Amino acid sequence: MLDLVFPASLHDVFDTLVRCDETLRMAGVRDDVRADVRLVLEELMVNMVQHGRTEQREGTVGLRLTVAEEAILLELNHDGEPFDPLQFGTPSLTGDLADKEELGGLGIHLVRAMASDLNYTHDEYGNHLQLRFACTHLTEHDHDL
Amino acid sequence: MTFNLHIHALDPHKSTLQLEGRLDAMTFGEFDREAEKVLQQMATGSTLVLDLSSLEYISSAGLRSIAKARKHMRARDGHTLLLNPQLQVRKVFDIVKAVPIKEIFQNMQELDDYLDQIQRRMLGEGEEVE
Repeated sequence: MLDLVFPASLHDVFDTLVRCDETLRMAGVRDDVRADVRLVLEELMVNMVQHGRTEQREGTVGLRLTVAEEAILLELNHDGEPFDPLQFGTPSLTGDLADKEELGGLGIHLVRAMASDLNYTHDEYGNHLQLRFACTHLTEHDHDL
Repeated sequence: MTFNLHIHALDPHKSTLQLEGRLDAMTFGEFDREAEKVLQQMATGSTLVLDLSSLEYISSAGLRSIAKARKHMRARDGHTLLLNPQLQVRKVFDIVKAVPIKEIFQNMQELDDYLDQIQRRMLGEGEEVE
């Protein structure tokens, strides 16, 4: 379990990614699952830093990570401007990113592909995202069973 | 160390960039800056090899940087070939359909064979013209 609150800056986001990865590693979560979680967290938190800040301040991000039985649960809270990452449609994928003039929406597409469940809400406290990564063979030890 | 770019065999006709570590929202700028120096020196019709065997991780920021380098090479009628992407990188490429499969090679032998084919084809075309 990890429960953090930190400034919505790129530097703090990447420090947090290291701490999340270490927490998952200590819990015995497989390398490939940890990489998926890292990617999803990077995409969402970088979006918060880049798009969610108000004119007055950069805001604060709250992150709660829980390793449950056969799932990783994540909550992200950001007190910035309303920003629903799920509002973006699937980018048109031609089979070659070098064909595209505009390369927006890739990060959210990756998030959708990798997280099992993703929910967004917004209230007077800001943006709230809840994610779940289902994994029936979460830990490396499962290989021995 | 989170990201390193090694430039091997810098040649205007064929250069290799070896990417090491993580190419993400924190490191893509470093890749862009270093790659730009090489890209500026590449000749028309040249080949850029991106050796991904030591790249552990890529995010959308890294994907955009690689697409930018490939666009640059394409604008010069050149090729960008990707060598030996690891599991996480391959998975991300697959999800966003980043690169045509014919431009990804599992090892140097496959890549060299492909370059030989291109060279033979170009020589053949040259002979036909003569």
